[in-house]
Amino acid sequence: MATTEFDSHDRFATSSTQVAIAGIILATCLFILYFVVNTAMVQELLGYTQRMHARVPTFFVRLVVVIIAIGAALYLVTGLSVYKRNKVEWAPWLFLALGLGLFMIYVIIPIFQSMSYSFTKWDGLYDIDGNWTGEWVGLHNYKILLDDPNFYTSLKNNILWLVLYMLAVPIGLFIALFLNQTVRGIRIYKSLFFFPFVISQVVVGLIFTWAYNPEFGLLSEFWSWFFCETKENIMGNLTRVCSVDPPSILGNEHTATYGIIAAGLWPQIAYCMILYLTGLNNVSPDQIEAGQLDGAKGWKMLWYVVLPQLKPATFIAVVVTVIGALRSFDMIATMTQGGPFGSTNVLAYYMYDQAVGEGVGRYGYGSAIATVLFLIMLVYISYFLWRMYQDEKEAK
Amino acid sequence: MVKRFNFKKIALLAALGTFVSGTAVASDLVITFDDLNPDKKLAFEAAVEAFTRANPDINVTANNGDREAHKSTIRNALQNDSPDVITWYPGNRMGPFVDAGLFMDISDLWASDENLSKNFEAIKPTMSRDGKQWGVPYSYYQWGVYYRADIYEKVGITEPKTWDELLGNCDKLKEAGVTPFTIGTKFLWTAAGVFDYLNLRTNGYEVHNDLTAGKIKYTDDRIRATFANWEEMLDRCTFVSTHATMSWQEAISPFAKGDAAMYVMGNFSVGQYKEAGLTDDQIDFFQFPEITPGLPRAEEAPADAFFIPAKAKNVENAKKFLSFIATPGIQSAWNKAIGQLPPNSEAEINTDDKFIVEGMETLSTAAGLAQFYDRDAPAAMAKAGMEGFQKFMLDPSTLDEVLENLDKVQAEVY
Repeated sequence: MATTEFDSHDRFATSSTQVAIAGIILATCLFILYFVVNTAMVQELLGYTQRMHARVPTFFVRLVVVIIAIGAALYLVTGLSVYKRNKVEWAPWLFLALGLGLFMIYVIIPIFQSMSYSFTKWDGLYDIDGNWTGEWVGLHNYKILLDDPNFYTSLKNNILWLVLYMLAVPIGLFIALFLNQTVRGIRIYKSLFFFPFVISQVVVGLIFTWAYNPEFGLLSEFWSWFFCETKENIMGNLTRVCSVDPPSILGNEHTATYGIIAAGLWPQIAYCMILYLTGLNNVSPDQIEAGQLDGAKGWKMLWYVVLPQLKPATFIAVVVTVIGALRSFDMIATMTQGGPFGSTNVLAYYMYDQAVGEGVGRYGYGSAIATVLFLIMLVYISYFLWRMYQDEKEAK
Repeated sequence: MVKRFNFKKIALLAALGTFVSGTAVASDLVITFDDLNPDKKLAFEAAVEAFTRANPDINVTANNGDREAHKSTIRNALQNDSPDVITWYPGNRMGPFVDAGLFMDISDLWASDENLSKNFEAIKPTMSRDGKQWGVPYSYYQWGVYYRADIYEKVGITEPKTWDELLGNCDKLKEAGVTPFTIGTKFLWTAAGVFDYLNLRTNGYEVHNDLTAGKIKYTDDRIRATFANWEEMLDRCTFVSTHATMSWQEAISPFAKGDAAMYVMGNFSVGQYKEAGLTDDQIDFFQFPEITPGLPRAEEAPADAFFIPAKAKNVENAKKFLSFIATPGIQSAWNKAIGQLPPNSEAEINTDDKFIVEGMETLSTAAGLAQFYDRDAPAAMAKAGMEGFQKFMLDPSTLDEVLENLDKVQAEVY
């Protein structure tokens, strides 16, 4: 065994035995995996009538086998003398390997796959022999995209979301400032304000859909006080007759998107508020005092003394709000499904709608929309990464 | 959601199989169904049970799932985990799967099974593509106008036979303070029902088929004529104003309250009217009135069917099952249970149900049966088309914009 400086205090000192043991475990795992993957064989052995029954147990068996195999592989690699000599350089990559592998499989490769699909016309089907049924159409999908009114509606709505969603940051800040005081029971008030963030987006969407409903919603009840009276209709049932019809917020293409954004803002404001509340805890009292001595108060105090100290909180609030605006999919899916007639689509929802939704099956076109969305987000992501990089540099 | 009818048997077999591998086992049949509504679910399970009783040597595994989800999951089911029998829609909606070779050609079954070849004449064209048959229908139902008979009586009007009579009824209903039509277009397809009828009555069956097959443009004069009639209908036969926010079920509320008098719908809706408190005396049905005089009357009659995936493992059993559910007895029992019509002409209908009797009368005398806009047209076209219909209904002045956009989508999809 080569004597290196690591040997004396290395936990993995017995290299050759280690390689042997790990090699055996690895081979066994691969052998078992082969059997488990080959479900037909297993099914026959167990007498299962359908693959569906076998699926759940085999999934866990596979998982366990894969984990053991990875462990064995790690054990094996760390036992090699090559590894030991280059431990410092290799160790971080070893730790990153699993994450990087999954990231490649589930994020990076699909990005390029969907980019390549965007140059094809494909309905998402493989034929009986597993052959891909699409055809290459070059830039055709992008040409139609530029001529598609729904695409522009979606793009416009994406921008509306990004801009209006930013309101959550200042509103959250002011609620946080308002709640940042010590009175009896303040914790209860804080939790009540935070409450909407705890509810699932789907539930928020449903609550607002009902509130907006022109027939029985909260808003229309309120409207009735001013414009409606209750009369008996022809069948003798009580019914509401209005001089001005209550607004149908989600049924009108001009107001529907604003209605959904308002619903989305509700939890988002709570989120920004909690970020600022935590930030306010860290505002240094010395500086406030110094500001007071210098005669700063009110807006000036807020702008020149408090806000600069809240900069990290603001940065995170802006980041999560941008992410929230891009994740508008859930709200749209629960509240309008993109309707009326596609006027509340955003790019993400329109992509889903064209590719997967209701079996429409324009996978190529959906991929083209996805690619455009990706390019737009790339601008934001690059800025974000650049900003992080700069911060890291400063920290050094 | 997975119902195992003979779980014990499977478990026993599994245990046996482990020890005595290679022993011959009874054959299997895996069925995937797509309706979890209580009555539909029960009717399906009853049919499966009857099948297992008749074929005790077949192990049947019946899976049932959500109807909307099935529209996406079927893709995976046909390409990877094929059951032996699966539900899907006939007409153009089966086109992509037939063209990709994912459904099995069962023309031989249609030819050899006497019951299938004799009693399914009317619906056979719907089940055919490229001159071959691909599935077996188990149920269909009529569309038409459901109306409040009591309101009609109060206002002093009768079932309209012609377009002018309908418009006249609408005027009188509005005078009496009743909105003539209710509809809920949140999920779009209800608007397609109205469009289909206007188009079938204005231009007839051929034009409907040519339009959904992509042979006629949306800016064609004939289609424009349909939209002109629709505009007249929107103007004189007002629809409830908040229709874009309502599902078809929610739209029943003004109908049940007496604020609206008519509803263009399919027969599956009758159960919901009754649940909303209406009785058989209060509701009735009439065929959508004639618009172009003398035009042969075609009707909407969407069918539900079973298909055999090309990757099915137990083809013989699957065919046995399809033959079984096509028999008059099963078709009668199944459709009595779900309040729909049996495609088998020998099957009995529930004569106590006046809607079924009228439906049978409507469909058996029709000159042609359309599936429905969103089943006859490819899904991508249907989606854009129905969004266009909704847009037009909300604002008829957008007509040109809507039609031109639909032409663009049409050029792309077909």
